[in-house]
Amino acid sequence: MTALARSATAHLWTGMLMVAVLLVWVALPWFLSRSAIDILVFTGIYTIAGLGVSFLLGQCGIVSLAQSGFYGIGAYATAYGTTVLGLPIPVCIVLGMLVSAVIAAAVGVPVLRLSGHFLALATLALAIIAHVLFLELEWITGGTLGIGGIPRISLFGFTFATPFRFYYLVWPSAFALLLAYSLLLRSRTGIALRAMRDAPAAAAVAGIPIASLKVRIFVLSAAVGAFAGSLFAHYVSFISVDSFAIDRAIGFLLIAVLGGVRSIPGTIAGALFVTAAPNYLSRLGDIHPLLFALALIVAVIFLPGGFGGFMANLGAKLSSGGRRPSAPAGG
Amino acid sequence: MSALLEVREVSHRFGGLHVLKGVSFTVEAGSVTGLIGPNGAGKSTLFNIISGFLTPSVGRIVLLGEDATRLGIQHRSRMGLQRTFQTPQVFRDLTVRENLVAGCHRHGRTGVLEAFLGLPQVRREMRDAAIVADAAIERFDLGPYRDVPAGELPAGRQRMVELARAVVAEPKLLCLDEPSSGLSTAEVQILMQVLRRLNEEGMTILLVSHDMELMEITSKMHALCFGEIIASGSLDAMRASPRVREAYLGT
Amino acid sequence: MTFTLLIQSILAGLTNGFVYGLIGLGIAVAFRGARIINAMQGDVALIGAVMAYSASVSFGLPMPVGFVIGVVAGGLTGFLVDRLMIRPTLKRRGSEDSLLLVTLGGAFAVSAAVLLYFGRDSYPIPGIGGNDIVDVFDASMRVHAIWLIVISLAVVAALRWFYAKTLVGQALLAASIDPEGALTLGINVGRMRALTFGLGGLVGGLAGVLVAPLINIQYEMGLLLTLKGFAAAILGGLSSPFGAIFGGVLLGLVESLAVVTISSGYKDVVSMTLLIAIMIVLPQGLFGRRGRLGG
Repeated sequence: MTALARSATAHLWTGMLMVAVLLVWVALPWFLSRSAIDILVFTGIYTIAGLGVSFLLGQCGIVSLAQSGFYGIGAYATAYGTTVLGLPIPVCIVLGMLVSAVIAAAVGVPVLRLSGHFLALATLALAIIAHVLFLELEWITGGTLGIGGIPRISLFGFTFATPFRFYYLVWPSAFALLLAYSLLLRSRTGIALRAMRDAPAAAAVAGIPIASLKVRIFVLSAAVGAFAGSLFAHYVSFISVDSFAIDRAIGFLLIAVLGGVRSIPGTIAGALFVTAAPNYLSRLGDIHPLLFALALIVAVIFLPGGFGGFMANLGAKLSSGGRRPSAPAGG
Repeated sequence: MSALLEVREVSHRFGGLHVLKGVSFTVEAGSVTGLIGPNGAGKSTLFNIISGFLTPSVGRIVLLGEDATRLGIQHRSRMGLQRTFQTPQVFRDLTVRENLVAGCHRHGRTGVLEAFLGLPQVRREMRDAAIVADAAIERFDLGPYRDVPAGELPAGRQRMVELARAVVAEPKLLCLDEPSSGLSTAEVQILMQVLRRLNEEGMTILLVSHDMELMEITSKMHALCFGEIIASGSLDAMRASPRVREAYLGT
Repeated sequence: MTFTLLIQSILAGLTNGFVYGLIGLGIAVAFRGARIINAMQGDVALIGAVMAYSASVSFGLPMPVGFVIGVVAGGLTGFLVDRLMIRPTLKRRGSEDSLLLVTLGGAFAVSAAVLLYFGRDSYPIPGIGGNDIVDVFDASMRVHAIWLIVISLAVVAALRWFYAKTLVGQALLAASIDPEGALTLGINVGRMRALTFGLGGLVGGLAGVLVAPLINIQYEMGLLLTLKGFAAAILGGLSSPFGAIFGGVLLGLVESLAVVTISSGYKDVVSMTLLIAIMIVLPQGLFGRRGRLGG
């Protein structure tokens, strides 16, 4: 078989696989219970928020625990905007993303000068600050009482009121963002990011603006996180400060670490674990946070590439007949 | 304006140690200028000051007639300065082709948002960069390694990748730090050919090395010893200079 | 602000400051001996406090016995952190980020385990001298708080002596500064790291039993303690026991003065902002060397 024919066959297979995945995705809600669809909706929301964290960690080496804050900003912006100010939903969603982006830029410029554990702990401190502010700024957030009556999203007279319907809103959004992040990774900017991760000095000589790129990616991640928060608010229609505590920040980081920070689709697997696991474990009572924490430890130690890296490794092993277990190289 | 780079009275100290003591020289446009000196002469420090990795304690760096003493690395890169490193710094996880695409970075304009939205000009820029990269791969004889992660290449090839990456940035001034170290004799010959041709095409080159053989391609040389320039002139003049011979044989 | 209120807030800041200092001390000990930030330090203190509480309140053992159990539990936790988490991570060549993530995971695990065991309530623990109070310029201070300060200073002195005068202390330092050189001297670097974490754990456990009577034990308290302790340790230069206490006191004072001038609800906003500012502006600490080395 010629190389050309082989590549054509490979394309055919990938294409067929994509079609199959698409069909399964469309058909899935028709066969699942309401609660299972609910989990899938949350998986979609968390995939979106987790994408930002995963990309930051995998491509810029930035451990961000601040995502719960941006997620919260998005949720409160849309909740406050729609219920108090009476603004249209799309305006509120964009507003939340803008507010998040502006705050991320203001905070990111000084904080992203840090690196390693200093940076990670600084983002944790940011998450704590955000949580306290959500609690204290009662006139916006309603404090512990929260904000209720957040309207459902409607599009052309179709209201995304049930988990079943919301599924068809959240997943196209998630797929679009997955695609956007993949495009970013494959662009010259993505190559620049990987370059500065590999050899920062040489990247600087190549004219890659390291500091400003980091801030831009952080801002993008914050905006995407806010978008996820807005979707969350419109889906559950009631939000309170409990949804934006530190454990949410850990959850987002866990999505990234479990999914594999170098693998963009791996984020879905991470998000599925983070949403589905507590649901099934919650029958055991308060033990699920403990299992979560242990999962983080085990994943960091034993699964440095996450699910995505693990699958890529397995794929490489299988395709090379188990001869060369090479590490996955980004993407 | 014929001087592309002027180093004016540059001194540098680390703690109490005077590494450079009032070094001045110029690199004329279109020249291949050599900077030789034994280990510890201050070559690397001077190089870091020229390329923006260090700010000198005293003195100025004038690049293309503009005071660049306090400009950042990226700024100097945009002005047209490229450098290589004593131990080659390739982007290890990136393929050779991607390394060269990264080298073209300063030619592009699109940023994070354009790429995220998948705008057509992003793809266009990527295609342009790929064309430049492929031409460089041909020129630097890296064809077999095109899609291999650069970190997996032998040391000599990594040096070529680094050089190619600097060249695709189309610098006005190309600064090379010990480009021949770790290369075989045959590879040094190829390197010299490549550098000669680049110079013929109009690229100004500053060469830092203690390899006298490589200096055959230079039009002017400066000898650095214990942080001072002790001699300047052609290669033959250098070979004849008693001070240079003393500095070299003395170590 | 009245004079009494000022004194009161200074006393509160001083007490809190020594608490942060004690946590920072544990972080500094681990960093000095292993060049690793232990993000579990506050949760080691939580374990110490929980154990002391269980022993004395649940099982009715005498208070001093409970204290000792708490401290030992902290030391044991530190040792286990190294053996179960740090060592496997280093063996797989984990990065600095991995080490931090692993200990962060450990912190959440401890917090979750305490939640499982204790629930969401908070628990008071009797202090040294019960609830007795001393008057200072009309402001009051718990006797226990004075003991906390005295014991903290004694621990700092003991640590200084340990690093300077004992063979083990010097071996610990050698193993962290130059692991390969230490190996050639026959120092078991792995064992030294375990010892370092054990020592840090002991300090953490002690911090826990000393802190518990002042702030009620609660499953979420560890993380904030860690971060404030971390701020204290950085201010002090990250590897100096004395510096950590000094940094803690400074942080405690600033925090409590901020509380009286702003609002108590924003206390953690102030301290977390301070933490970030300290990392950016004073990464070498107050006494640290400035400027970079050439090479």
